[in-house]
Amino acid sequence: MGKQAATKVQAGAEGPGATGEVLPEAPTLRLVSSPKRQRILEGMLEAVGDAGYDAASVRTVLDQTGLYRQAFYDEFADKDDCYLEALRYGVAKFAAIARAAGGPESGWRSQLRAGIAAVLDALDADPAAGRALIVEVHAAGPEALKIRAEAMKQVTDFIDSARYASAGTESPPPIAAEGIVAGMHAVVHAKLAAGDGSGFRELLPDFMYFAVLPYFGAEIAGAEMKAARL
Amino acid sequence: MDSLRTLPYSECMDSPPTSSPEKTQGGTQSLPRAYLVRSERERLLEAMLRVAAAKGYEATTIKDVIEVAGVSEQAFEEMFADKEACFLEAYEAVFDVLLAHMTSAFEAAAGQPWPERISAALGALVGLLSIEAGIARLSMVEVTAAGDDARARYRSALARFTPFLEEGREYANQGEELPADTARFAIGGAASMIFDEIRAGRGPELNRILPDLVFAVLMPYLGPEAAEDEMRRVIREHR
Repeated sequence: MGKQAATKVQAGAEGPGATGEVLPEAPTLRLVSSPKRQRILEGMLEAVGDAGYDAASVRTVLDQTGLYRQAFYDEFADKDDCYLEALRYGVAKFAAIARAAGGPESGWRSQLRAGIAAVLDALDADPAAGRALIVEVHAAGPEALKIRAEAMKQVTDFIDSARYASAGTESPPPIAAEGIVAGMHAVVHAKLAAGDGSGFRELLPDFMYFAVLPYFGAEIAGAEMKAARL
Repeated sequence: MDSLRTLPYSECMDSPPTSSPEKTQGGTQSLPRAYLVRSERERLLEAMLRVAAAKGYEATTIKDVIEVAGVSEQAFEEMFADKEACFLEAYEAVFDVLLAHMTSAFEAAAGQPWPERISAALGALVGLLSIEAGIARLSMVEVTAAGDDARARYRSALARFTPFLEEGREYANQGEELPADTARFAIGGAASMIFDEIRAGRGPELNRILPDLVFAVLMPYLGPEAAEDEMRRVIREHR
C-alpha cells in the first residue's frame, strides 16, 4: 500500500503496535486536562444535541453534569467558548475512533471500511453527540464552521490518499474526494437533522460504494458494497 | 417588476385566482382587487427575501418587509399569520423558481444524453444562484443555522431535485445495482459544495464550480471516467 496513506491514517498514533491496545490519542484530546473538564465537554455535546444550540445553556449543561455553576466558569468563559472546545474534542474523538478501527497495517479500502463502520457505530451509540457535532455546528457561528471545515478536510485527505494506493486503478479529478465527503456528510446530516437516531451502520454499504467508485471503478465498488452488507 | 426577471416566482406559484382572471365571478370590479392581492402577496414575499438576505432573518421585522413591499400592515396580517409564515412561503417560492429554471434547462436539452441535460440544469441553477447571491446565501447557508422547521424545509426542498437524477439509473444501465441513497448522496454533495462556496464569500462566482458540481453529481451514477468526460465537455463549452 502507498506510504502516504499509511502516514495520514496513523497521524494520531505513536507507531505500529500502539494501536489495538488503547485508542490512539489525537492531539487535541490532550486539551482535556481533567476529568471534570471532560465531563463538561461531554455534557455540552449532550445538551446541544438534545436541545439544539440556541436552546442549550450553561444551566442545561450543569443539569446534565450535576456540577456547580462555579465549576463551569472555572473552566470556560461562556457557552460559546465551551461549545467550541466540545466541538474540537468531539471531532478528535471521532477521528481517533476511525483511526483506531483502521489498523495501521491494512490497505486503504479496509481502513476506509473499518473507519466508516466505527464512526457509524459511534453515531448509533450516541446520536445526540452526532447531532451536536454535525447538525448544530451550523448554529454556532463562523469559528465552529472553521473547525467543521478542517475536520471535513482531514477526511477528504484520507479518502484522496487512495490515489497513492498501488491498487488504485483510476485517477479521478481532485474534486472527487470532496464530493464523496460532502455526499456522505449530507446523508448523515439529513438523518440526524430529521431526528432519526438509529440505523447509521446500515449506511456502510452505500458509503463504501460511493467512496471506492471514483478510485477503483464500478466493479470493485459493487463488490465492496456487497461485502459490507454481510 | 424588474427583479422578477431574475426571481420570477410569480410564474411558478399556484395562484388560481389570477391565472384565469376571465373566469372570476363578479365582473370587472373584482379583477383589480384580485390582481392587487396577488401582487401584494408577491411583493411581500420578495421583500421578505430581500430584507432577510440583507440583514438576516432574525433581525428582519414585519415593518421592514411592509415598507420595502409598499404594502400596509393590515394587508400583511390578512395574508400571513406572522413573520415566519411569510418567510416559509417565500422560501418555498425560491425553490419553485430554482426548480422551474432547472426544469426548463433540462427540457430544453431534450434529445441530448442525460449527463448533458444534468449539466444544463446545474448550469441554470448556479447561474440563478450567482445572480441572486444574497438570496442564495439565505436559502442555502443561513437556513442550516435556523431551527428544525427550517431545516426540514431545506431537506424537502433538496429532495425536489431527485427526479432529474433518477433518470440516471436507466442511463447508467445498472439501475437496480446502484445504492438506494444515490440521489440523496449526489444532491447532498452538490448542496454541500455550494454551501462551502457561498460561505467562503464566492457566491457571486458560483458559476466557476459548475464543472466540479457536474462531476460530483454524475460520478455516483456513471463512475469516474464518464463523469470526468462530461466535466471536461462542460469546461470546453464554457471556455
